[in-house]
Amino acid sequence: MLKEKYKAEIDEILSRYPVRRSALLPLLYLAQQEEGYVSEPAMKEIASILRLTPPQVYETVTFYTMFNLKPIGRFHIQVCKSLMCALVGSDPLIGWLEAKLDVKPGDTTKDGLFTLSKVECLGACGTGPMMQINSDYYERLTEEKVDRILADLKRDGTSTLKSGPFMWPEPAQRA
Amino acid sequence: MPHAAVDTVTLTIDGHHLTVPKGTLVIEAARQAGVMVPHFCYHPKLKPDANCRMCLVEVEKMPKLQTACSTPVAEGMVVRTATTVVNEAHKSVLEFILANHPLDCPVCDQGGRCDLQDFSHQYTPTTSRFIEVKRVFPKEYFSPLIETQMNRCVQCLRCVRYCDEVMDVKALAPSGRGTMTEIKSFLHHELDCEFCGGCVQICPVGAITSRLSMYEYRPWMLKRADTVCTYCGDGCQITIQTKDNQLVEVMSAQGAGRNNGDLCARGFFGYHVSTHPDRLRHPLIRRDGVLVQATWEEALELVAETAVRLKLAHGPNAFAGLIAARCTNEDLYLFQKFMRLAIGTNHLDSSARYGQINGVRALRRVQGTHRWTVTFEDIVSADALLLVGTNITETNPITGLKVKEAVKKRQATLLTIDSLEPAVGAISNIANLSSHHFSVHPDRFKPAVLGLIKAVVEDGHVDPTLAQRAPAYLQTISDSVQDLSWPAIEAATGGTPESFREAARTFARSARAVILIGQGVLRTADGYGLATTLLDLLLLTGQHGRPGCGLAPLAEENNDQGAVEMGAVAEYLPGPGDLSDPAARSRVAQLWKEDLPQEPGLTLMPMLERARAGALKAMFIVGENPVGSLPLSAKAKEALQSLEFLACQELFLTETAQLAHVVLPACSYAEKDGTFTNTEGHVQAVRHAIDPIGESRPDWEIFSALSVLMGYPLEYGDAKEILKEIRSLIPDYGRLGPAPTPMRPATEAVDGYLHTGYATDAADRYALSGTGHEARGAGNDGHLTLLIAQSLFHSGKLSTRSKGLLQVQAEGSLTLNPADAARLGLADRDQVRVTNNLGAMTTTVMLAERVPKGLVLFPEHFDQEARRLLTVSTDPVTQVPYYKLTQVTIERL
Ligand code: SF4
Ligand code: SF4
Ligand code: SF4
Ligand code: FES
Ligand code: FES
Repeated sequence: MLKEKYKAEIDEILSRYPVRRSALLPLLYLAQQEEGYVSEPAMKEIASILRLTPPQVYETVTFYTMFNLKPIGRFHIQVCKSLMCALVGSDPLIGWLEAKLDVKPGDTTKDGLFTLSKVECLGACGTGPMMQINSDYYERLTEEKVDRILADLKRDGTSTLKSGPFMWPEPAQRA
Repeated sequence: MPHAAVDTVTLTIDGHHLTVPKGTLVIEAARQAGVMVPHFCYHPKLKPDANCRMCLVEVEKMPKLQTACSTPVAEGMVVRTATTVVNEAHKSVLEFILANHPLDCPVCDQGGRCDLQDFSHQYTPTTSRFIEVKRVFPKEYFSPLIETQMNRCVQCLRCVRYCDEVMDVKALAPSGRGTMTEIKSFLHHELDCEFCGGCVQICPVGAITSRLSMYEYRPWMLKRADTVCTYCGDGCQITIQTKDNQLVEVMSAQGAGRNNGDLCARGFFGYHVSTHPDRLRHPLIRRDGVLVQATWEEALELVAETAVRLKLAHGPNAFAGLIAARCTNEDLYLFQKFMRLAIGTNHLDSSARYGQINGVRALRRVQGTHRWTVTFEDIVSADALLLVGTNITETNPITGLKVKEAVKKRQATLLTIDSLEPAVGAISNIANLSSHHFSVHPDRFKPAVLGLIKAVVEDGHVDPTLAQRAPAYLQTISDSVQDLSWPAIEAATGGTPESFREAARTFARSARAVILIGQGVLRTADGYGLATTLLDLLLLTGQHGRPGCGLAPLAEENNDQGAVEMGAVAEYLPGPGDLSDPAARSRVAQLWKEDLPQEPGLTLMPMLERARAGALKAMFIVGENPVGSLPLSAKAKEALQSLEFLACQELFLTETAQLAHVVLPACSYAEKDGTFTNTEGHVQAVRHAIDPIGESRPDWEIFSALSVLMGYPLEYGDAKEILKEIRSLIPDYGRLGPAPTPMRPATEAVDGYLHTGYATDAADRYALSGTGHEARGAGNDGHLTLLIAQSLFHSGKLSTRSKGLLQVQAEGSLTLNPADAARLGLADRDQVRVTNNLGAMTTTVMLAERVPKGLVLFPEHFDQEARRLLTVSTDPVTQVPYYKLTQVTIERL
């Protein structure tokens, strides 16, 4: 039950909006933060908090690709497949990840560590190919860099290779 | 408030010059000019969404094509809908849709009446440039009654918008985005909703269809009959479609009837009742204690001979008759004429006695009308709506839609006094739209209404002219409500003085106010008194008699209103005229060329009492089932068993018909012609859709045949001839028009009430005591109040023979508040025993937030066992039997 654990947060979120249902997205984020995905009980609970029907909540969840409807791995790898990244090699990169992790996009590794997804532009087009893992960006990826990231995450739960997002022009090149 | 003159706009569409009201959409203006603009997402019932781009038109001086469905007309606008550019646009939109649409028209139930087929026929080139594979959604089971075929969906979202905007149910979710959008319910769950069929009807293609008739027909094979639904007082117009005398489906055309094409589950999915295999197909005669098949001649002769013999031996007042208000006006009229002339008694009654009569008697008493002074249109355009004791969305769903429209589309203020709490659930709940909701126990509507009146009086909302017009009346009421204490009202209702004050202010200040009352008022103790008191409320605020204002009691059965108007109740002659009124008597006697019986008629409950005492010898029961409807404590079965002779006209061998000596098979509504009068007093044509099942005959024909055999011929060629006779008593009865003309209150009657009429029972009506179950259980003593209520998915016991509706609700279960359930250690679907001093029943429980604490609900349609727990009290004035409430304890099994 979100209400028991996050009463204060929920009240604060609700207080931000004159129209109650506007709190839907923030509450969904809260639910996703808690479980890694938006579960059925969470959708029902949010519906009841906002006086919506469960289908209305479900509709919203399915519209936004950033909400997961299935449990995901500890690390959610979202690789950009939009045009800019595609031009600099996101396709082979995805292939590399599929081979390395032995999963197809949309699936989770057997050990429950990694979920691989293909997503649209993440706004780091100048530094592609790139991916987002949980809330961190990894840019200018190469196969070798990806291997290191995966190993770091497995071992330490985090990686020093995380970056940016870089601004354009990149800070280092700025006058 | 006088409505301001409507501004108009003049424009040109494809060369037609026309003038339309300001704000009209181009697509509607075009329709008026006879120009059809192709469209998918537009529907006149829905807000424009402009998502499909099918309706693009050229508008002079606008650089790009415009969507006709979302562009309002403007002065001097020049619109072209058939230029090369527009046709090209239509073509490309269709090309996109057809890129994904499967070519499965030959197996699609929509084939032949599909917008996509029609528009493709008109606009699409014969070749497609699209060579990729089509989008394919995996097939998923959707629900027992509604099927989806998402590959066919054109994503116009009409279904979703209808379910939200019109129904307020919000059961459909467009999931995903872009071409991959798919109409679903909730995750993998099957649809749980009101099953109104609206999404099926509004889908322009075959993406949402009815499972009841799936693959059974091609639309052009169907025969159509426009008739009226038999399941509630709203009186929806339906089109029954048949193939080879089989019922295939029901629909209701956009704009049709008082329902404007909207239906509820009962109307849309409940139609299989008429062809149920248990329908009686032959007359039955009791021989050696068992009912055996007989010919019509044998059966009719037996009834006629016995009637003549018993009449000679015991006189006409040893007879009584009972008829269901599901019958047509023609049946009802001839029934009472048969009883009054051929038999010679006024002992006759109908199911209008169960509640409708309370409303009618109150209206007649206060304002001299037997009908509403408002129409559905007045509900839609009301400024304030007060609903008392009605779970309207379940009992009268279409009147409920009018209320929803008033609140959602026209910003009317809704005030509700009902036992249900606002809570979002699978079916809509009118309390959710209410801005002043008083959630009171079902026996506490009266103190809540008194609270409102007290606030009206104390806060100076009383019509200033009333002090001159009726000083004594005003004084009496003012004194009575001032004697009531706010703490006592608050204790009884839970409503604070402030909440009553606010509600009273909103209500009293509204220019157009309509009060709707339902079974909670009409079928519980004090029903008649409370209906009268609500008319006081309108008189006090000065809203009474104002156009668009009035009290509207909701009829439960499809022809409750007709039963009263046809004189098929003990106290009324056709008209209705009072049986005791010499003028009314002589008018009827003159037309019938025969004197009317003198002795006042017995109503339902005294009738049963007399039968039990052996004073009644014979009864005619037509479509009514007192043994199956009344509580066991009413001893209806014992009463009927004491009769020497019982004749029943029935569709099915009901509990009552099983006791009969002769059972005559009657036609259902789908097999007869005639008229029904709906809750607002609109008389509508009933037309047969199929031939009579077996040897069944319309009820009026049976009365007529019996009368001939008894030597009092009441002969008519067809139902129309009866209607003609009705018209000579009630001028213009059922001159079928699109809408009823509301009655006006009769000034003399109102004056009579204001001067003396109110006084007879004012003391009782304005007292807080005597509001029924004083010792109601709030739960602490372990007692709960059991309310036998109507469900959305059924109507009486009749619909429990409809295979469609049984798929949504096949049995009764006890609904209670989750907090009560927790207190009693109960979980959803647990088996429980429900007990009181009269008996016990076992059932399963269901939890629902909208049921308040202390109350449990059980559907009347499955109350065979529950009827053991109920007692009956009878209204001292209207003799309405009240038996919907009792106290029980619940334990887990
Ligand atoms: S049938 Fe159900 S889903 Fe369809 S419009 Fe009616 S309530 Fe909504
Ligand atoms: S199911 Fe029908 S009404 Fe609903 S979006 Fe698809 S085509 Fe439109
Ligand atoms: S049951 Fe009532 S509301 Fe439903 S379709 Fe029939 S007449 Fe209309
Ligand atoms: S295209 Fe990959 S981040 Fe923008
Ligand atoms: S009908 Fe106008 S955009 Fe769909």
